[in-house]
Order: sequence, then C-alpha cells, then structure tokens
Amino acid sequence: MAPPPPQPLASKERSLFTQVVKNYENKQYKKGLKAADQILRKSPDHGDTIAMKALIINSQGNSEEAFALAKVALKNSMKSHVCWHVYGLLYRSAKNFEEAIKAYKFALKLEPESQQIQKDLALLQIQMRDYQGYVQSRRAILQQRTGWRQNWTALAVAQHLAGDLANAERTLTTYEETLKSPPPKTDTEHAEAILYKNSIIAEMGEDERALEHLDAAAKNNPDRASVMELRARYLLKLGRKEEAAKAYRLLLKRNAEYRAYFEGLQEALGLDKSNVEELKELYADVAKDNPRGDAATRIPLEFLQDDEFREAADQYLQRMLHKGVWSTFNNVKALYSDSKKRDTIQTLVEGYAAGNFSTQANGSTERQTNGDSDLFTPSVQYFLAQHYNYRLSRDLPKAMKYIDEALSSAPESVEYHMTKARIWKHYGNPQKAAELMEEGRALDARDRYINSKSAKYHLRNNENEAAIQNMGKFTRNEALGGPLGDLHDMQCVWYITEDGESYIRQGNLGLALKRFASISSIFEIWQEDQFDFHSFSLRKGQIRAYVDMMRWEDHLREHPFFTRAAISAARIYVMLHDQPDLAHAKLTNGVNGEKMDSAERKKAQKKAKKDQEKQAKEEAERKDSKKLAPVDQNGDPKKEDKDPKGEKLLQSSEPLVEAMKFITPLLEFSPKNIQAQQVGFEVFLRRKKYLLALRTLLASHALSPSDPTTHEQAIRLGQTFRIQTDPPDRKIQEVIAAEFDPVLPA
Amino acid sequence: MDIRVLTPADIPHVQSTNITNLPENYFLKYYLYHALSWPQLSYVAVDVSRPKKTPYDPPKIVGYVLAKMEEEPVNGIQHGHITSLSVMRTHRRLGLAEKLMRQSQRAMVETFGAQYVSLHVRLANIAALRLYRDTLGFEVEKVESKYYADGEDAYSMKMDLTNLREALEDTYADEG
Amino acid sequence: DREDPAPLPTSAEDRKAAAAMSSLEGRGGDDDDAAAKPNKEIDQEALGKAISRLELADKAGTVAAGEKKTKEKEEVEKRAKIKVDQADVTLLVEELDLSKGKATELLKANEGDAVKAMRGFVRAAA
Repeated sequence: MAPPPPQPLASKERSLFTQVVKNYENKQYKKGLKAADQILRKSPDHGDTIAMKALIINSQGNSEEAFALAKVALKNSMKSHVCWHVYGLLYRSAKNFEEAIKAYKFALKLEPESQQIQKDLALLQIQMRDYQGYVQSRRAILQQRTGWRQNWTALAVAQHLAGDLANAERTLTTYEETLKSPPPKTDTEHAEAILYKNSIIAEMGEDERALEHLDAAAKNNPDRASVMELRARYLLKLGRKEEAAKAYRLLLKRNAEYRAYFEGLQEALGLDKSNVEELKELYADVAKDNPRGDAATRIPLEFLQDDEFREAADQYLQRMLHKGVWSTFNNVKALYSDSKKRDTIQTLVEGYAAGNFSTQANGSTERQTNGDSDLFTPSVQYFLAQHYNYRLSRDLPKAMKYIDEALSSAPESVEYHMTKARIWKHYGNPQKAAELMEEGRALDARDRYINSKSAKYHLRNNENEAAIQNMGKFTRNEALGGPLGDLHDMQCVWYITEDGESYIRQGNLGLALKRFASISSIFEIWQEDQFDFHSFSLRKGQIRAYVDMMRWEDHLREHPFFTRAAISAARIYVMLHDQPDLAHAKLTNGVNGEKMDSAERKKAQKKAKKDQEKQAKEEAERKDSKKLAPVDQNGDPKKEDKDPKGEKLLQSSEPLVEAMKFITPLLEFSPKNIQAQQVGFEVFLRRKKYLLALRTLLASHALSPSDPTTHEQAIRLGQTFRIQTDPPDRKIQEVIAAEFDPVLPA
Repeated sequence: MDIRVLTPADIPHVQSTNITNLPENYFLKYYLYHALSWPQLSYVAVDVSRPKKTPYDPPKIVGYVLAKMEEEPVNGIQHGHITSLSVMRTHRRLGLAEKLMRQSQRAMVETFGAQYVSLHVRLANIAALRLYRDTLGFEVEKVESKYYADGEDAYSMKMDLTNLREALEDTYADEG
Repeated sequence: DREDPAPLPTSAEDRKAAAAMSSLEGRGGDDDDAAAKPNKEIDQEALGKAISRLELADKAGTVAAGEKKTKEKEEVEKRAKIKVDQADVTLLVEELDLSKGKATELLKANEGDAVKAMRGFVRAAA
C-alpha cells in the first residue's frame, strides 16, 4: 500500500519494511510486528515503521496504543505521507471520519500521486456525503487512469449525486464515444451503464429524450423488465396513451400481481373509479389470463359498490374459503374502512356459516364446489373469528365462539391457536394469550414462525426468560451471550425492541435502556454497511441499485424500527431526570418495586438467584466447549459486553444529554411523527430550552391540533412561562408572544 | 399482494421476515450484497391494501425470495442460486412462493443468461420440498451432509431453465 | 495464509455467506485495478480527446465555479455588511442548540433581526 519510506534505510531494512506492509495487507499481524521491531532496533526513530506498527496494533484491536504510537511516528516524521495516511486510517477505524479526511488530505498534499490515499479519501468523502469533494477526487482518479470504464462511471455517479445531472450524462457519453465498437451483449457493465444514463435523462425531466434514448440504446438490454417499465412510464407521462396502454398490458402479462401496472393501465385508458363497467371488463380480462392470480379479482372489490360489490365479494370469498386460504381475512379487512362493505362481508360470511350460499345478484343458489369442501366450514369459522376480533368489527364473545367451534373440529391447528391467543390479548388478558400461543407452538415445534409469535406473547406477558428460551430453540448456540447474543448479531430488531418494552413495564429501566441502545447500534451498523459498496458497486457495475441504496441510507433512521426504540429510550431518560432514585431501584416489580409483598419479594429473589446460577453454568459450558471465538460480520473478534444489565446506562449523570442522542435523529428524520415531537418537548422543557420546546409544540399542533397530549403540553408550557421567577430575555418573550399565543388553548 | 422486485428500502423488513420464519439468518449487509450485485433477481410480496398511517410506513413485506448468480461457476456455466425464500405463515396457500420464484427465475435467464437454478432445502422440510419438486419442477441432485449450522443435511436441488428460455423467446416475438 | 485467521464457519451454508462478505471488503486499492484490466476496445485517440475535453470542461467548470464564486463572494460580502450583534449570536446558540457559525448564518439570513430569526426557526418544523 505504500512506497518505500523517504528516510534512508539500509537496504536490508528497506526490504523488511516492504515486508511489514505486505504482512499488514495479508493480516499476518504477528509476523508484521516482528519485522517492524527488527527495523526499529536499527532505526528506532523511523516514523513510517512506527506508523505501520500502529496500524497493525490497531487491527489487533488496541486502538488506544495505536493512536499513541501514530503520534510518535508523526512527531518523528511530520513530512511523511505514510504517517499521515496511517493517522487517517486510525481515525477511519475509530469512525471519526472528519479527522480521517483531514489526515488523508494532508497525506495527499505530501504525495499527490498516491492512488491509494486518493481512493481512501474519496471513499470517506462519499460516505460523509461531501459531494463536491468526491467529484474532485473522482476526477483526479480518472485523470490518472483513463482506460477503466469504472473510473468514468464513478465520476458520473459523483456528479449525479452532487446534483449535476447534465455533466453526469456528459461524462457517460464521453466514455461511450471512445469505444471502437459496441460492446457485446454479455457485457452487463455496459448494459447497466446505458440504463443508468437513461435514468439520469429521466431525472432531468426530459421524458421525450429518455424515451428516444431507451428505444435507440436499450432495445436488447438484458434487464428487460426495467426497460419495459420505463418505456410504459415515459409513454404515459408523454400522453401517448394508446402506446402506454399497450405497454402496460405487456407488463401485466409478465406479472399480474402488481398494482402499479394496473394503475398505469387505468391511467392510460383514462379510467377512474367512476368508470365501473370499463374497469370491470379490464380486470375480468386479466383475471381470465391468470386463473390462479389474486390481484385481478381482489382489486375490483375496492371500486365496486352495492349489489355489484356483494356479488363480487361473494365469489371472491367463497373461492378463497373453499381453498382454505388463511390470509383471506387479512386480505379483505382493508375494505372495512367502508362500513357498508364491512357489513356486507359480515352478512355474506355469516350466511355461509348458516349454510346459505345464495348469490342473489345472478339468481344462482348453487353452492360453489370448486375446492375442498372439508376446508370450507372451518375456513368460514376462522374468518368470522378474525372478523369479530378486528378493531372495526369487534365482538369478542362471538370471536371466541367461532374460534372454539373451529378448534373443536381441528384441535391441532396452529392457526386457530394463534387467533385464540389474539382474542385473549384483546380481552386484555396477556397471560391467557401467552398460554394459547405456547400451546400452538408446541403443536409445531419445528416452525419458527409460531415460535417467534409465542416468544412475542411471552414478552407481552413480561416472561422474558420463557421468551428467550423459546427463541433459543432456533438461534445458534455458539454465539457470544447465548440466544440473545445471536439475536443481536442477526439484528433481530423486533425481539430486542419487545424485550426492552417489557422491561419498561417491569420497571427494569437499565435493561430497557440496554435494549434500545442495541437498536441504535444496529442502525449504526446498517449505516456503516454502505461503506464497502462505494467501491464494490463500481466493480460490479450495478449503478442504479447503488444509487437507490445511497438514497435509502440517507434517511435510514426514519424507519419505524428506529423511531419506536428511540422514543422509548428518550422517555426513560426523562423519567430518570425526574426521579434520579430510579437509577438505583433493584427490584423487579412495579416501577420501583414498592408494591411487592414479602412473599413476592422472596419469589423474585429466588428467581434472580436461579437466573444467576444458570447464567454462570452456561458461561462455564461455553468456555469448556472450546467453540470458535465469536466474530462480527467483518470477521473481527467480538468484545465482551462490560455492562450487560445496563447499570452504567442507568446511572448516567446527565440523562437529558443522553436523551438528546435519540431526540436529534428523531426530530431530523421523523418530524411528522407526533410522538417524536412530544417526547422532544419533554426533553427541551426540562433543559429549559423553551423555544425548542415551542418548536416541537408547533409541529405537534400542525400534525394534530386536537391531540390531547399536545393540548396538555401547551398548557404546561404556558404555565411554565407564567410562573417563571426569572423572566426570559425580552426577545424570547417577543417570539413567544407571536408564535405561542395563537396555539395556546383558551 | 404485490409481487415486485426488492429494493434496498425493503431490506429491514425482509430481514425481519426471514428471522421470524427461518433458522438461517443473515446480516443486513448480506441482503445488500444480493440487492446490489443482482438487483433484478430478488423479489418481495407486499401487502399494499392498507392505507399508510404515517409518511414513514415501510412496505409490509409478507414474503421474499433472495437470489443470486453463482460468482464463479464451474466450467463457466452461468447459473442462479436461491439463497433464501420464505412466506409468512399467515400468508401461505396464496401461491406467493411460487409467484416469487417464477419472477426470479425469469430474470435469471433474461438478464444473466442462467442455464439452471440451484437451491438447498432441509431434509425435513416437506412443504418446501413439495413446492420445489412438484410445483416448480426442481430435481434432487444429491444430499449434502451437515449443510446447515445445526448439523442437518440438505437436499441440493436443481432446475434446468432451457424450457423457460424457449418460452421466453416466444413471448419476445409477441412483445416485439 | 493468515496466521490469525478468522475461524472458518463449520457449515457450508455459513461458509458461503462468509466468503461473500469478505469479497465485499476490497481492502487493497491498486490490486483491484490490476485484476480488472483496462478496456482494450477503447480508441486511444478518442480517449486522448475525451480527456482533453474533460480537462477543458474542468477549466470551464473552474471558470463557472469562479463565476459562482464571485456571486457567492458578492453574497458573502453583502452578508458581511450585515451587522450581527454578538449578544444575539450568544442568545441563539443558547436557546436553539445551534453552533456559533449556524447561529450567525441564521441571523444574517434574517438581516440581523434576532426575533425574526428565532420566529422562523421555531416555525420551521410545523
């Protein structure tokens, strides 16, 4: 990775240095260190060697010592690009990207020709979204090596992401024009570059030119599905309706289970919800070609009304229920937002249960017999149980009656157990719910789905131990930290979140914080994950997918997986601020354990002791078994958790500062989430940042003016202002008067 | 239930679906590796019938197929491989797995010139075996002993894609 | 041959995933290029021209950037003339969790009017 050092070394040491570099690159760390020490015995001040030693030590996991050594190296050789480069690499591995960029830039100034430094710099620039810097770096790399297509594509990507679409297109075209003959069909890099360029033209809003380019350059492109989709879209946008309709019909022939195609076709034909007859015909045509499809018969239930709806729903439901399709209810419940449709469906299926199959619209009273009629009766009971368990049509006793009927004829059905568990949940009985789910799990112990559900219901019933034992039946036993360790490794967000929420209910705020911090670190990993693709995707040549990934990563933390955990974590920190005693609460019942009577306490202590013994035993077994040392996803050894119970998290001296680590991304990425704004309010109010509190209040108010929490927060903010002994700055008062008073509840 | 190509934004829920349903789990980065190397091959089944509650609602994934091309094919014969396929238990019997597989297989032939597609299935997984063998036309190539981390053996299965290629060529004539 | 090798997964299924993950890493730089040969189908003469065009565009870019810079400069000069009360900067830093630079910027964008700046800021999320 580096040229020979600038300081004169004797030739033997020079070759030893080359060997150190090689050793490092091949991850032969012990050999590398040995060779480095050999050089240092002769030239103890040799900066580059010390730097390489630092790099190796860092790779072995000792970052502190590495930084100290790197500083020594720099002191000895201020003008060595190797030392600066290494300094940058250390910062890079400590994820301090800004400092790393500075160090690389310094190294590059000392050695402008170094490809490696230039590339390392470029990667960090794009990771940090320094688009202008990235364009410059890619330009420099291209100028050094013009014969590689990926260097041209890379510059175009840089320009594209920087928002300079015209130059991105020009760069791609310039390269194309240097080709003596068109590349063969098997050149997927070329084929993708064409479609990438097409996507840039379209992004500039030039649909006409994009279509021309597509027709001229992508006729035989191997990504046929993309070409057909793009063509249909351009034609539609250009108002060439007839051709667009044809294009969408072809797409539906390829895939009749994609709403976007149906919607495209409808638009091309100029049809909206009022053109019922035409729509019916359109969907009937597609359904005829796809006898086993779903979309063409399901979607019409949305635009059909009254008798036509009844007839179509009847056919659809009977067909699905005869086939015993479990998801039938899930697939139609979205229609329930229309209460007439909800009632029609209820009447129809209740009719099936009563043995009434008349289809009034066409006068036929014949029972449909396409399918296994053995499946029909239980399917109907199952449907009705789900129907009466659903929020918009809830009648729990009826739901229970139907699921019990279904169970009496099929006591081994996992699905029926799951539904019965859900009914108990809605009755507000998490214990019965968990019992039923567990019974279901025992019926099919090899199925992970029911296992996962059972674990979830255990957690909802605050049985964390039973939950993890269940999960452990499917996790790997070699993972560090047992089943939970494996779930962390495998980024099993749902379990960790549910576990954390359960600990909140039990007042174990340390473990709850621990879990939510894990979610946050999973998101950090996901953000870091893109790093390798900045170079990998250029090698692979799949550029559109790479650009998609970049845009997704840009707003990664708007994902509800993050929001849910972050809101809970921030709320806990608010509690810890208000009641610092909570940080020392040890007992596990109620928020601070007061409500435990002595029998309960004894039981809890016994359980805690048992858990501890069990943990110790497992630990010993793990050490005994001489299993492979656990590694992370990059193959690096994993560190043992020094705060497994979250006690350190709990005892943070500045809970509101900790809270901000969650509040900042919440408000940046999910400003339209009212709970995010509301918990932000609580933190800002306590930090006495009244204008920031007002900001969140105004945002909540805009999202939902009648929200009770917002209302209550407004009153509280008003009171805070009134009772202040120390009136705020006159300018702040002015802002409050102008912005707050209009939303202040009367 | 939409059947459409997988995008990076789908991955957290695809990963979640996978770990809910199957014992073989992967880092998110491994899904990215598939989606960024062969973006045409992986598909998802999405419940689109429900209206969004917030602007941040991710797609509700109920099934997926994660597929790749073999990186270093023996004798240079291009072929695809199914890394993982699963459908939520609540959404079985809708034929989703078959629909996902068929879209993926076509893209293997169309975009990467695959001659055949291979996959592994647990010996005890009768339902999956039935889908691959009876519905889709895969054949058992051999048994790979201790293929899985828990020590279970796998059927190594294979399906020739020649017929699909020929059928596709006929369609292209129609599509013009 | 690595002397501190990451342990090889025992099952075939795991090995496949591990191999793919390590192929992503791409630690070396120049070595990657050595593996991927430059395209032989490139017309060298055309390439030469393309590069000089790129350099021209570069210069044009610099000129354009220069123009942009003068515009930016004007903007900067205009902003520089706006008087900002340091007490207001401190107020914004304190009340709005902003850096000093950001606070100054926000004040200048509002002609140095602190109330206007803060009003705009509290309304921005709504």
